[in-house]
Amino acid sequence: MPATQSLKKRKIVSASCDSGTSCPAGVASCPASSCPFRSPRSPRLKLLESALLLGPRPTAGGMEFSELIRTGRAQAELLRGPGAPPLRGTLCVTGHHLLLSPGPQATSDLWLLLLRSVDSIEKRVAGDSGTITLRCKDLRVLQLDIEGVEATLDIARSIEALSSLESVITSFPFFYRPKGLRLGDAWHFHPPEHYYKRVARETNAWRLSEVNEDFSVCPSYPRAVIVPRAVDDDALARSARFRQGGRFPVLSYHHAPSGTVLLRSSQPLTGPQKRRCAEDEELLRAVLAGARPGARGFIVDTRSAQAAKQARMTGGGTEAKAAYPGWKRLHRPMERGRPLQESFVRLVEACGDLEQSMDRWLSRLEGCRWLAHVKEALSTACLAAQGMEREGACILVHGAEGTDSTLLVTSLAQLILDPLSRTMTGFQELVEREWIQAGHPFQLRCAHSAFSHARPKHEAPTFLLFLDCVWQLGRQFPLSLEFGEGLLLALFEHAYASPFGTFLCNSEKERCLCEVRTRTHSLWSGLNQPKEQRKLRNPLYVLNPLAIWPSVEPQSLRLWQGLFLRWTRPPEPSEAAWEKVWQIVTDKEKTEGSQPTVSASEPQP
Amino acid sequence: MVQESVLNTNNFKKTSRDGVNWDLSEAVPRLPGETHVADKEVIYICPFNGPIKGRVYITNYRLYLRSLETDSALILDVPLGVISRIEKMGGATSRGENSYGLDITCKDMRNLRFALKQEGHSRRDMFEILTRHAFPLAHSLPIFAFLNEEKFNVDGWMVYNPVEEYRRQGLPNHHWRITFINKCYELCDTYPSLLVVPYRASDEDLRRVATFRSRNRIPVLSWIHPENKTVIVRCSQPLVGMSGKRNKDDEKYLDVIRETNRQISKLTIYDARPNVNAVANKATGGGYESDDAYHNAELFFLDIHNIHVMRESLKKVKDIVYPNVEESHWLSSLESTHWLEHIKLVLTGAIQVADKVSSGKSSVLVHCSDGWDRTAQLTSLAMLMLDSFYRSIEGFEILVQKEWISFGHKFASRIGHGDKNHADADRSPIFLQFIDCVWQMSKQFPTAFEFNEQFLITILDHLYSCRFGTFLYNCESARERQKVTERTVSLWSLINSNKDRFKNPFYTKEINRVLYPVASMRHLELWVNYYIRWNPRIKQQQPNPVEQRYLELLALRDEYIKRLEELQLANSAKLSDPSTSPSSPSQMMPHVQTHF
Repeated sequence: MPATQSLKKRKIVSASCDSGTSCPAGVASCPASSCPFRSPRSPRLKLLESALLLGPRPTAGGMEFSELIRTGRAQAELLRGPGAPPLRGTLCVTGHHLLLSPGPQATSDLWLLLLRSVDSIEKRVAGDSGTITLRCKDLRVLQLDIEGVEATLDIARSIEALSSLESVITSFPFFYRPKGLRLGDAWHFHPPEHYYKRVARETNAWRLSEVNEDFSVCPSYPRAVIVPRAVDDDALARSARFRQGGRFPVLSYHHAPSGTVLLRSSQPLTGPQKRRCAEDEELLRAVLAGARPGARGFIVDTRSAQAAKQARMTGGGTEAKAAYPGWKRLHRPMERGRPLQESFVRLVEACGDLEQSMDRWLSRLEGCRWLAHVKEALSTACLAAQGMEREGACILVHGAEGTDSTLLVTSLAQLILDPLSRTMTGFQELVEREWIQAGHPFQLRCAHSAFSHARPKHEAPTFLLFLDCVWQLGRQFPLSLEFGEGLLLALFEHAYASPFGTFLCNSEKERCLCEVRTRTHSLWSGLNQPKEQRKLRNPLYVLNPLAIWPSVEPQSLRLWQGLFLRWTRPPEPSEAAWEKVWQIVTDKEKTEGSQPTVSASEPQP
Repeated sequence: MVQESVLNTNNFKKTSRDGVNWDLSEAVPRLPGETHVADKEVIYICPFNGPIKGRVYITNYRLYLRSLETDSALILDVPLGVISRIEKMGGATSRGENSYGLDITCKDMRNLRFALKQEGHSRRDMFEILTRHAFPLAHSLPIFAFLNEEKFNVDGWMVYNPVEEYRRQGLPNHHWRITFINKCYELCDTYPSLLVVPYRASDEDLRRVATFRSRNRIPVLSWIHPENKTVIVRCSQPLVGMSGKRNKDDEKYLDVIRETNRQISKLTIYDARPNVNAVANKATGGGYESDDAYHNAELFFLDIHNIHVMRESLKKVKDIVYPNVEESHWLSSLESTHWLEHIKLVLTGAIQVADKVSSGKSSVLVHCSDGWDRTAQLTSLAMLMLDSFYRSIEGFEILVQKEWISFGHKFASRIGHGDKNHADADRSPIFLQFIDCVWQMSKQFPTAFEFNEQFLITILDHLYSCRFGTFLYNCESARERQKVTERTVSLWSLINSNKDRFKNPFYTKEINRVLYPVASMRHLELWVNYYIRWNPRIKQQQPNPVEQRYLELLALRDEYIKRLEELQLANSAKLSDPSTSPSSPSQMMPHVQTHF
């Protein structure tokens, strides 16, 4: 294993991220260590180990994984919920996985669970056996019946310890080396330069600035951002000091048909004295000057007017009307943070509550308010999109930090307006550009899913809300998205726990420090393998050049059953339908062109 | 405005595709046999877009309104049959704009409101004409179906032939025989003439059982499982009464039914009603099978409410969706209508029936009070779950024709065709509820049904329209007296002559697959495309391209099947040559990915 040999020696520079604040990604040193499997192993497990752990023996913050593993193995039975038959076999905890090997004569394959995807764990012992209930971040609930009380407790403790490790560079993506993928393959798939090239073809008013090259101007922005050509880097740096977290207004999307732009930023730091910043004002003036003549601007603030005003007390605030001529402020309050997380938790609780099967389900669903959040997000995105397309206005979106509801609005507005973002690659690029590189703090927001007993700190399902809104768009426009529910489900799963590095860390800066790009695989190269396509693509897709305006009436919005009821309903019928559509579409290719061509990249059967 | 006009042009196109003739002088669609009665300038108070000036044309079949405003292409095309009530609004002295006119309540989840000029007797004339033609029975006029002279290239009346349908099920056999005892409807006037009964029960037995069953609706076979030979039998409640009467013949008859399958020890009786209602029915001479009297039977109540509860529930649904949708508390308002809860109970009941039969554990007897509402829902839904034949277009037509029309679901009373008594307590949306259940199933099993949503909506539209004879009258004997099959056109003629419009492109024919829908509240949804279809804001954003794409897929599928058959033919001809076998789907799989 030459690639990993070199890693063994490497010592990561300890957290020198923000001056004063420590890096939340929890950087740790990574010396090589002994084998996590102490007990004699079956050949089957050995095989698996070599498949999974081609890297150095993982350690956690100086402590070895093996120290956290209380027991090697136990006999257990796994219940996976309706539709899936129970599995019996040998249960084993490794540094990153829980595995169940069904014994030499069994026909079923080895069962494997990434420990990071465990959200909460509950143990019960009775007599000489025990039961562990694992609630996963992808909302699955698993039950393990284990022989032996000690074994149960040991396994539970091991899972508990290993699933809650916070260190990034000892996480599984740093050890995951799947066959057929090369490190670094898709990491240059969506750099800001790529999108800038497209903008530059459409307008000359914008430039790519590298003012943030060393992440000193804005720690949560990528190295390169798109800004008005008329504004120089010094002015940007000054504007950044006037915005929370340094998130000065940058281009999010250029709408070529109307010649208008969508910008995003964080709140201005006006404070109680109503401070102003000439460079910030100049920046927004330059935006209007660069758009079509006479263009107006709207600032969509995702907080209520009241909340925006209150933010002044803590140093934040909102753009004063007099300071930004041509810009008009609109307030569209959107839920964020804890209330959103609580809504998610309540919804998942309601969906999993099988006792309460009939009475009051609808009012309970309403009480969760999740669909109300979906409606809010979609209607604010419609407002932004409408402002550009119908009113010919430039739009700046921000809330407080500009890393959550702001990104929700800008990314959804693009999906509504931009046919390219509705393609498979376009959508991946959108997620990469508007969420990952734009600094949505995935590590903090997705630390726990809906089952955690811990008090939520920074968790919020903003990204899931985005995926849900996209699903609603797809339901209302079944032909207009090139991807299907499968991709959205995959993104949800991987955002919360993944063998890939794409959703690791909170910003490009942290990713850079952890060397995520060189040491982990990108989810996009995983997803874009030909064998995944049938699950992810929408076979009905036909390019729709128009804007897709969703209906946001409560009757038009549905509970995303495919996600929230995924593990409690038999999936076959909808899967069969999907397969059927594929068949028909595939048949089409067969009937067109009598000599079917097989692409070069396609492995021959 | 734009959206509504799009919506209505659809209707417009639809009718023209149906082969409707156009009266060129008026540019109003006209069916053969349809005659112009009156036309008048009115203001249509559109609940979504405000008042629109238009000209209304009334024929003996429809009310047709065309906008007279240049910026609106609005068209209303309403069969008079959907009208349940016509009221005058405002008086000669009422003030305010558009406060004087007519208010029309429809059976299909909408209301229409027209404002008229106060001078003259313009309103009185229109009110009288509409009342006369919307409620022909009250004016000794024929229902339009008897005037309709449409011709189709297929005859929908030929779709259902009971002998053929029973033969398809493998009947008669050693245990079940076909009887003509009800040939002249003497045994039971609401049953069909042809019945399937246990071989061992004589006609005399049947007559004695009939005396103990409400309206003589004796237990007869609806469906038999092709392999395990358990059966679904339907009937009405036994006439137990307060005194707890027993009837030896009935008891013996049920045991004979049980014994048609030697493997089973108990006959399962599903009483569709809630327990308390069944008990209450004893006061009016009805009741249910007691354990003491029927040793070899087990009785379960399915808790489905009666027609009055269903009617009120649907009324509440209409209240929250028309004209304006209750937005602020949509889900809890929907919950308070209980409509989905009733759907759930009906589906749950049907699942239990299907499961008993499919597992071969027991034969099943289903009844409610009279055995023509809830019983029809349960047997037909269970049959739809059990027998894939009924999931094809013709199979479904046969199912409706058999379990509903021939077994005397009282369509005339429940719908009130041509009848002006809008408050009649006999009216109830039982059949609509059944179609809703079918829709819920089709949502959960997108590939299992040959028909699409449009098929179900078309059936419901013509449930009220009175254009076809299919749903007229309460039972077969009445239909025969009126010579309905000779004098009217069948709805299935319209559908079967243009099947492509009603096909589901994703249909995969599967034999012997039992469908068990998930009947939990969280998997049921309101059928927005039916109940809220008049609201332009709810309309799905791009119905046309989607429909178009589905039709495209349908054509592709047909083409592919044809090609496949050709290739298979060619293959079997050159079976020895292995190089020419590119036809099996699995081998063709790789190029799914060619364009990626």
